[in-house]
Amino acid sequence: MPRFLLFYRLMVRPLFREPLRTLLTILAIALGVAVVLAIDLASDAATGSFRSSMETLAGENELEVVTSGGVPEYVVGTLATLAYSIRVSPRIEDYAVITDTKKSLPLMGLDLIAEGGAYAQSALQKTAESQTQSASEQVFNRLGDADGIWVGSSVGYRTSDRVELLINDRVRTYTVRGVYPDSNGNESAIVMDLAAAQHALGRYGRVDRILLKVPETPSLGDWQQRLRTVLPAGVEVRLRGTATNENRRMLAAFRWNLRLLSCISLIVGAFLIYNTISVSVVRRRPEIGIARSLGASRGVILSAFLGEAACLGLAGALIGLPLGRLMATGAVRLMAATVESLYVSSRPGIIELNGASVLLALAIGVGVAVASSYSPAREASQVSPVEAMARGRREYDVRVHQARDLWLALVLGLAAAAASRAPAVAGKPLLGYLAAILLVAASALAMPAFVDALTSVSSNLLGKVFGVEAMLASRTLRASLRRTSVLVGALSTAIAMMTAVGIMVGSFRQTVVLWMSDQLPADLYLRPAGFAAADRHPTISSGVAEEVAKLPGVAAVERLRAYEISYEDMPATLASADLNVRRSHRNSDFFSGRPSEQVLAELRDSNAVIVSEPFTYKHHLKAGDSLTLSLGATQASFRIADVYYDYSSERGSILMDRQTMLRFLPDPAPSNVAIYVSPDAPLEIVRAEIEKATAGHRVLLFSNRDLRAEAMRIFDRTFAITYALEAVAIIVAVMGIAGALLALVIDRRRELGLLRFLGAATWQVRKLILMEASLLGLLANLAGLALGFVLSLILIYVVNKQSFGWTIRFHWPVEILFGALAVVYGATVLAGLYPAQVAVRLNPIEVVHED
Amino acid sequence: MPILSFEDVSKDYLTDGQPVHALKGLSLNVKRGEFVALVGRSGCGKSTLLNLAGAMDFPTTGKVLLDGVSTSSLKDNGLTQLRRERVGFIFQSFQLLHTLTVFENVELPLLLAGKHNPREAARERLAWVELEGLGDRHPHQLSGGQMQRVAVARALIHSPSLLLADEPTGNLDTTTGNVILELLRRLTREQNTATIVATHSLEAASLANTLVRLRDGKIEEITRR
Repeated sequence: MPRFLLFYRLMVRPLFREPLRTLLTILAIALGVAVVLAIDLASDAATGSFRSSMETLAGENELEVVTSGGVPEYVVGTLATLAYSIRVSPRIEDYAVITDTKKSLPLMGLDLIAEGGAYAQSALQKTAESQTQSASEQVFNRLGDADGIWVGSSVGYRTSDRVELLINDRVRTYTVRGVYPDSNGNESAIVMDLAAAQHALGRYGRVDRILLKVPETPSLGDWQQRLRTVLPAGVEVRLRGTATNENRRMLAAFRWNLRLLSCISLIVGAFLIYNTISVSVVRRRPEIGIARSLGASRGVILSAFLGEAACLGLAGALIGLPLGRLMATGAVRLMAATVESLYVSSRPGIIELNGASVLLALAIGVGVAVASSYSPAREASQVSPVEAMARGRREYDVRVHQARDLWLALVLGLAAAAASRAPAVAGKPLLGYLAAILLVAASALAMPAFVDALTSVSSNLLGKVFGVEAMLASRTLRASLRRTSVLVGALSTAIAMMTAVGIMVGSFRQTVVLWMSDQLPADLYLRPAGFAAADRHPTISSGVAEEVAKLPGVAAVERLRAYEISYEDMPATLASADLNVRRSHRNSDFFSGRPSEQVLAELRDSNAVIVSEPFTYKHHLKAGDSLTLSLGATQASFRIADVYYDYSSERGSILMDRQTMLRFLPDPAPSNVAIYVSPDAPLEIVRAEIEKATAGHRVLLFSNRDLRAEAMRIFDRTFAITYALEAVAIIVAVMGIAGALLALVIDRRRELGLLRFLGAATWQVRKLILMEASLLGLLANLAGLALGFVLSLILIYVVNKQSFGWTIRFHWPVEILFGALAVVYGATVLAGLYPAQVAVRLNPIEVVHED
Repeated sequence: MPILSFEDVSKDYLTDGQPVHALKGLSLNVKRGEFVALVGRSGCGKSTLLNLAGAMDFPTTGKVLLDGVSTSSLKDNGLTQLRRERVGFIFQSFQLLHTLTVFENVELPLLLAGKHNPREAARERLAWVELEGLGDRHPHQLSGGQMQRVAVARALIHSPSLLLADEPTGNLDTTTGNVILELLRRLTREQNTATIVATHSLEAASLANTLVRLRDGKIEEITRR
């Protein structure tokens, strides 16, 4: 108890003497904790929800039968007639949009006669006629209705309501036959009879999945073995939820990168805690001496300062918890949109702030605070009592080991270079991240030498150009080298990450812009109005493309069909295109450097494919290799003719000739259509003609420019969250600068008072502090830009490549980058305003005479 | 005409909510070339008098005239200007900026006043205090006596008409302190400034032309020699 009392009196109470600075430090930690927590919660909610209603409503079935392009319907019969006690549940699975609300919901076609008891029962409960036997019969009689649907209660419809649904490019009207309970909204879906779904989606003669409930013995592995023997070659039986696990694996890199990005604020916060505790140690040096001379051991001093940091960390974590929960709400929306456009259909799930999250926040807040304060706390414990009481704080302040730290920085830099050249570990760029962390550490170690060199060279010049205040500011920063280096280190780390991510995103954006100019050569693009995502490929009714092709002014149409498939336990996109059209219009970019005509000619009507760069990276394939695909009821081997650059999705794509695909999957409906307009035909007139011809279908017609703009909008939205994370890191750093300048003003109040005695006007004192802020900003910008450039190379050529497999061409986004740096610089100078005001308000008589 | 006049000056402070009467109806005239020693117990008002004389503070009642200008009639900018042109300060603990060299410390008041090329003036003032050749050193490379000489040079850099020294020998040994006092007296005479030294030192008192004894914020006795 006495120890706690002493701790409170000597360590905690002083924190209240500078409430603003203490608050800034706590807020810096709170923001760091909040960001990490928000990303953790949001990524769980956003990427966890891809499990979607399809899985939630899959019931207790253990196995599923699948194949690319759909399982032939006769397989249902094969399985149902086996001499085993297996429950067979065929399913059609897609999405429908409720036209009134524009809400996209999973659409499931079930064999309602066989397994629809539950739905019918719920319908009974919800209808007024439920008391009568005849009503029950009526519901059962309607199970097979082509226009009947069952909806989750969260959708908000009642029995007998009429609902218009957009499915692919058609709007159809359905009647709600029943409502099933759906308390949390995660199971909301539209259920209809299998045959009705096949009709609506044009998937005659096949189903998307067959779910199987098998007896407990033998094992599931044995059941898989048994069932494989009766299934056609291309049809696979696997554990239910395999797709979920595949998606989870696919999203791992995305989640990892976001998580690491969210740690930047925490790293910046750690610098600031280090600085706060260092200042605390410097200020209390005489007190440390007194405490040591009165019998306090080194361990007591060490724990006292670690305890101080832990208090700040705990306070930060407690504020960070609700803040993180709040931020997660915004983050989940951004992340879900990204997941949907790049990976897999997703619906934001529920953000759960549970005990684990609270523990995580506390561990992060207290852990980072204690870890980052260890060095100054240890230094405090090493102080000899005599020295502490005899010598001023100046000697302590300047005690930095520039040469030793520079050597260490060099060693870390070399280690970073080595780590950056290492391959991915378990598919993750772990050593790439390590290289980035080592570089940040090397930069922090080199910072005192950098600050010392620059301030010593520039102080006289600054004095000549900006006046004596600039010279004094420069000298002051140099005199407090340790403190200055930490502040510049914190801000430069935030700036470096902003620069690195800025260059990476800018390079990526430029790469995509250039790529699109090759990949989108058509004048107009047609796609179904139904909701599309990386794994959703709604189709246009067959015949529409042919009608458009006949229109005057249309030179050619190219039909592209895409299927969601699974290749070697990873999701992928299988696509086909009219390569005869493509060959004559495109100049695609291939790894081999061969002309596109030559590569595409190899694909025409043959078992050859081209694959996207991310696909080769995920599956370790190259041109000339073979891959085996399950297509409908068959399995076929394809030769990889070449690899093409592709930035539309991280899933990985396989492209074959349309005629080849139709041999295996004879559904002619395209997913979208590229339309080439004759050079002599006016585009707007042709467009109007196409709109007239497709009036009966819900399709969207994009001009080339619109499509590019839409693609860039999605691109920018994808990276919005990274910008948000960068902004928080910068805010944390700027808050740290404000707090540290405040501390600097308080520690140097005597000097500032003296200047007033020596004839300095108040504006000169203000200018002095603002010049210090400005110099800190300038040094941090210079160091951050240099470090950021090197980090951007690691992000582009190591982390991105090993995470996603994309080749990004380096590009300096000069305007955005320097705009952002100018904003950060401005913010740093503004952060000096309040400390400057405090400096101006100091009473020179009081501060000069206090000792 | 006196360079400094106190006309029935009183100064009150509030300390922890309690009024403190630091100076009570004090009148004093100091002329150029005059070396004044302020003596009295701690808390008798010596430092308050220096602060009012140096235009660092305003009197509660009465007038402080510095070179004929009433400090109460000026705002912050005016007071700053007055200090820059007319007043030099010397402190007990030297108050040198350790980040600056000796030259830069001495030049500081001129630079703050926006004057260019102050190096020659600094060199000259360092010669006055017999520190030629030490201009490029930093304060921590000097002895206490040398540091106080630098402070004296700095106080004289802009040729002030009034030099105010608060316990200038308080942090020095007796011999060094006497050297500093002798220096101040010499410079007062040579530069025709008025110098007021607040001190507990008998040596300082014995060197002064005018000895002002303060007690409880009032002048108890003025002895002119």
